[in-house]
Amino acid sequence: MKSADMRQPVSGRSGWSRQRHPYLMAALVFVVLCVVNAALQQTFLRYEVAISNVAAFLPMALLAVGQTYVILAADIDLSTGAIVSVVNVAVVTIIESMGGTGASMALGLAAGLLLGITCGAINGFCVAVLRLQPIVTTFGTGIVFAGFALWILPQAGRQVPPVIYLTYAGTVLGVPSVIWILAGAIAFAAFVGRTRFYKALRATGGNIQAAYQTGLPVARVRMGAFVISGFFAALAGLALVGETASGDPLIGGALTLPSITAVVLGGTALSGCVGGVAGSILGAFILGLISNVIFFAQLPFEWQGLVQGLIILLALAGGVVMARGKQG
Amino acid sequence: MPVLEASGIRKRFGGVTALAGADFSLHAGEVHALVGSNGCGKSTLCKIIGGSVAADAGELTLNDKPVTFSGPQDAAAEHIGVFYQDLSLIPKMTVAENIFLGREPTGRAGLVDQPALHQAASAALAGFREVLGDGIDADTTVAALSADQGQMVEILKVLAAQPRIIILDEATAALDRNQVAAVFEHVRSLKAAGCSIIFITHRMDEVFDIADRVTVMRNGATVMTADSDQTTREALVEAMVGELATARGKSARHTPAAEVALQVDGLSSDKLVDVSLQLKRGEILGLGGLHGQGQSELLRVLFGARRMRSGHVRIAGKSFDPRGPRSAMRHAVAYISGDRARYGVMAIRPIFENLVVSLLARERRQIIARRKLEGEIAPIIETLKLKFDSLGAAVSQLSGGNQQKVVIGRWLATRPQVLLLDDPTKGIDIQTKVDLYATLDDLCAQGVSIMLYSSDDEELLAIADRVLVFNAGRIVTELTGEQRTQFELYRAAYDAGHTGLQQAASKQTPAQQTGSHQPGTQQIDAKEAGSKATDSEKIGSKKIDSKKTGEATE
Repeated sequence: MKSADMRQPVSGRSGWSRQRHPYLMAALVFVVLCVVNAALQQTFLRYEVAISNVAAFLPMALLAVGQTYVILAADIDLSTGAIVSVVNVAVVTIIESMGGTGASMALGLAAGLLLGITCGAINGFCVAVLRLQPIVTTFGTGIVFAGFALWILPQAGRQVPPVIYLTYAGTVLGVPSVIWILAGAIAFAAFVGRTRFYKALRATGGNIQAAYQTGLPVARVRMGAFVISGFFAALAGLALVGETASGDPLIGGALTLPSITAVVLGGTALSGCVGGVAGSILGAFILGLISNVIFFAQLPFEWQGLVQGLIILLALAGGVVMARGKQG
Repeated sequence: MPVLEASGIRKRFGGVTALAGADFSLHAGEVHALVGSNGCGKSTLCKIIGGSVAADAGELTLNDKPVTFSGPQDAAAEHIGVFYQDLSLIPKMTVAENIFLGREPTGRAGLVDQPALHQAASAALAGFREVLGDGIDADTTVAALSADQGQMVEILKVLAAQPRIIILDEATAALDRNQVAAVFEHVRSLKAAGCSIIFITHRMDEVFDIADRVTVMRNGATVMTADSDQTTREALVEAMVGELATARGKSARHTPAAEVALQVDGLSSDKLVDVSLQLKRGEILGLGGLHGQGQSELLRVLFGARRMRSGHVRIAGKSFDPRGPRSAMRHAVAYISGDRARYGVMAIRPIFENLVVSLLARERRQIIARRKLEGEIAPIIETLKLKFDSLGAAVSQLSGGNQQKVVIGRWLATRPQVLLLDDPTKGIDIQTKVDLYATLDDLCAQGVSIMLYSSDDEELLAIADRVLVFNAGRIVTELTGEQRTQFELYRAAYDAGHTGLQQAASKQTPAQQTGSHQPGTQQIDAKEAGSKATDSEKIGSKKIDSKKTGEATE
């Protein structure tokens, strides 16, 4: 059919690989960085080193997973790092002030998760119900959360019972705890990815007006994404309790923007709708590997920031250029 | 007994009154056409019935029970389905995901059953397979679809909810004739099953083809309701505009100068092959032929919005390299697309900014003297009869027709010498069209040269001095003088595409053949031209029919 041949943008179809597998580029960069890292660090492929890398990258990966849902809805959450801080100090404070008993630990962990969810709900309420701009709102709530963290514990310190960090660094049923946590996050994402909620989330990010007209509960969906983000920030805060065994009110502040970078590296579009959690986890690992590579390349300290930034830019540009090339 | 009754519905957006007491009633099992010029409140009324806009005043009753909708989900719960004129599709999601958005089939643990979703979507698509065209299946992303395919998907999405009351707001605007026939066939079967349909269109022949009753709206109020077999086109048009609007006749044309304003030699691009033409000063040159044969592409190449692969362009004798819209603007070339949402208006910005933006870009002014600019655009506002509340209001508050006037005004402000019009009257009411034709006439008299593509063949033939017929990116014929008839246009378009078309014709099902008997002025399409050509008598009857409708609608 002549007229069909002439139909307009057939090229959109060849954006296929980035649409369906937005994390292909991230996977490629990840493999390259693994090779480079292995060349620089002989022990890189050893089991214990691999596990300790996963443990080190885990908080960032968890933050990125939560952030992915918010970004898929075309929103953004700049308060995640602050939620990490407030959960971190709250948990440590609760456990220590209750004497470090088993009950106190259970209560502390539960309270930490609840706190994260509450923070997320506050963000979601402001953005989805009050319809405030997400970028400014979460920047603001982030300052409040960070201030709350400082109020709870003005200085880094306190101790948690050894069983917490021993369990975190150890194994459960022969599998390292960090792997359990990562697997749990992936299972969660796999489950959510098959729900109607997830379709509605992507639709909201893709065209909020159309999603509303379709009758989707747009406000509830956006709210849900912020709650998930708060929940994962709380998990990251708990992971840092396990990692550092103490509280630090400033621990999360520097994590927010890198976690967003991880999401973007993983192929999730800041404009919403396109992307996924798998890419974000890869993105977080890529950021960690870049730090590793720079450390083991024994670059002079003053060069590290520069090189790190350039590698991140390169990885980001690679994804964009690849997508563009496909659409030709 | 009416299934749905709206009475005294009022709605204001800012200072603009969209509805000033509209009354409407819909019977069970009827197709009720809603017509009126753009901005008369049809779409707003539909959005209120669909729950996505809240009325300021008035009452809505369903089966005699008053209802209030707090959102589209409430209307959906009452089995009301809305086809939105601007489509409610998510571009980056697949056809399947869009059709069943919010209604995905679920399996174990309430999770979305992907295979079932795919299957259901494929089944939905299969119902319209013959008219959907190539490059669309359940997994295609909506962004990759053509405009007509997007509309078809929106229709399927509405149907997937199995509504009892269906609102189709310009659902056929981008569809070709076979697609319209297929949709109508479906609408008739829904009607037979007891569904009620509100049908909005700007095409008169569709009203008489499908509607049982018709309601005319003007300035936010319903002014007339009649059985469609008890009324005439003239009566409807008169009710719409308040007076009988007539388009300028061909005879009123002045003769273009001999001077060449734009010369194109051997131009090729991704979709154009060796195009050569001359545009005279003060001439309207029409680009015709089947849908999407390179007409829009040529206009966009000349404006520098699409890449030219080879060829040579001269403007007023001087060589011109269309590298981009900026360089085109510096050569006094302006491009206006009918796809205003995509290429035209900056929806949330004020009308003022939308009017002056091209002027500012052309003259590279950095400092904006508002008073001075307002003075400069005042005559343009006058010429175009642009209606608005305040220059500071967002352009999105205007009706489609007025938005298009803003886009046109923006370019007139730059005093173009060559005006490229890419289907500029798409989805625009008759009154606005008449205003636009008059404006084009004035421009030609002032020596502006115009190149026009229109999906409305009748319009093209009525206002163009010459028509170049395109096929597969080539110019195949030039129609001048007395040759400018629908018959010649069809024949030229058909002859050129002969080989490709026979296949299409053989794919026709008997049902569609019947469907394409309706007289009318729709977009000609390859498939239709194919089926037409199998019977030369039909071509003849078509010519007469369209002449008749031409007199009536314009």
